[in-house]
Amino acid sequence: MALGLTIIIGMIVALLAIGIIGYLISIYNSLVQLRNDIKKSWANIDVLLKQRSDELPKLISSVKGYMKHEKSTLEQLTKARTQFLNATTMEQKAKSDSIISGALKSIFAVAENYPNLKANENFIQLQGRISGIENELADRREFYNDSVNNFNIRIQSFPDMIVAGRMKLIAQEMFKVAESEKKDVEVSF
Amino acid sequence: MAIPLRTLKSGWIFPLLIFAAMGAGILLGFSNINLPDLDRFNEFFFFAVLGFFGGIGIFFYGFSKLRQKRTIENLPTSKIRSIAMGLVEVSGEVAPLKVNMLKSPLTQNDCVHYSFAVEEYRRSGKSSHWATLLSDTQSYPFSLKDDTGEVLVDPKDAEIDIPNDFTFESGLGKPPPASIKQFLTARSLSFESFLGFNKRMRFTESFIAPKDKLFVIGTAGDNPYVEEATAQKGVEDVMIQKGRLGSFYYISDRPEKEVLKKFRWKVIGGIYGGSALSLGSLTVILLYLGLFF
Repeated sequence: MALGLTIIIGMIVALLAIGIIGYLISIYNSLVQLRNDIKKSWANIDVLLKQRSDELPKLISSVKGYMKHEKSTLEQLTKARTQFLNATTMEQKAKSDSIISGALKSIFAVAENYPNLKANENFIQLQGRISGIENELADRREFYNDSVNNFNIRIQSFPDMIVAGRMKLIAQEMFKVAESEKKDVEVSF
Repeated sequence: MAIPLRTLKSGWIFPLLIFAAMGAGILLGFSNINLPDLDRFNEFFFFAVLGFFGGIGIFFYGFSKLRQKRTIENLPTSKIRSIAMGLVEVSGEVAPLKVNMLKSPLTQNDCVHYSFAVEEYRRSGKSSHWATLLSDTQSYPFSLKDDTGEVLVDPKDAEIDIPNDFTFESGLGKPPPASIKQFLTARSLSFESFLGFNKRMRFTESFIAPKDKLFVIGTAGDNPYVEEATAQKGVEDVMIQKGRLGSFYYISDRPEKEVLKKFRWKVIGGIYGGSALSLGSLTVILLYLGLFF
């Protein structure tokens, strides 16, 4: 075979090899990025959960003087906060987050029945801050779910599934809203 | 006259030239061709060498675009009010800061970023080319807002991918508009040849105007214009900017789907086009050196 043809074939093989290896490396790096993005987006939720948890004692102390009949809701909130502070796993934190969100929803809805509380400047400020955190939490939960969805799609698609299999990557759970949070809060006037 | 920085940053001319220079050197060394030996070292051979190493450069450029495409695909779009520090993807509408407004030089539009070029068609012998007489790029930080909030964006060092908003070519019987004539006169540039005919010139301008919809991937970091612990609603202590480790910073006025489509073509063009160019050029080089038969 002519030397020129050998060089051309060699070049084609080299380009193919570099191409395949480069493509596999890009899949690997991309999956690592996705896996870390999920961890990061959870950590970003955790930051807000902690911020909200720090606001809860102030909220409880500002409403307990008014909400004599909502003792159980306030106790539930205190208990859920303690659970959150003691939680070590993501699942435990997500569970207590769900309870706290539900209890907060009840408190803010029931506050409508207490005109003096509604007029309290401290309560208004706290409600504003906590509602702001709740909105950001909702966005970040959505972002987390998008990250998980991207990851799950990638590790189940061809050819990424081959690399994902070698990396022993498994599908991740999405952040689900608890059934109690989906229900409307009943307010009696 | 300064060369626009983004042209150098986003281009692949430098790696291509380096590859070409390295390649030419290697081939000259191996094939015992002396530069003065003009019988063998002609222009065609030089372009084949340039094509071979340029093709390899384009091949790797395709892979770098693949990495960026995957970053766009992997990163979900954040709502502006809940942006977290680090690499973020946001889309929204440009809301300029009142103190930071620019006027685009050629069309006099209010904007937060512009890039323009004035070129002249030149002929020398058989060859001709467009020579850049004047070009510049200017940007100011601006706010980007969606339905949840707004965030400051500093476009410095970003790869700004926007199409030309204005293109005009002057020539015989086609004088440039009055505003451009004024612009050229103010810079002592003539649009007429010594015989009084209009020169063949090309004017291009692109800009980001208020209310333009943008897609941004950048690093959310500390806002240097807000003092620590004084952030209020509407003046958040976050600014989207170029990351410290030279991470991806891209601004486009196209929606994400179209951006991805554009990147896909760059990847395909880079990887396949680069391979084809390199293989084709290598074939020419080998034929030239008589190594095929």
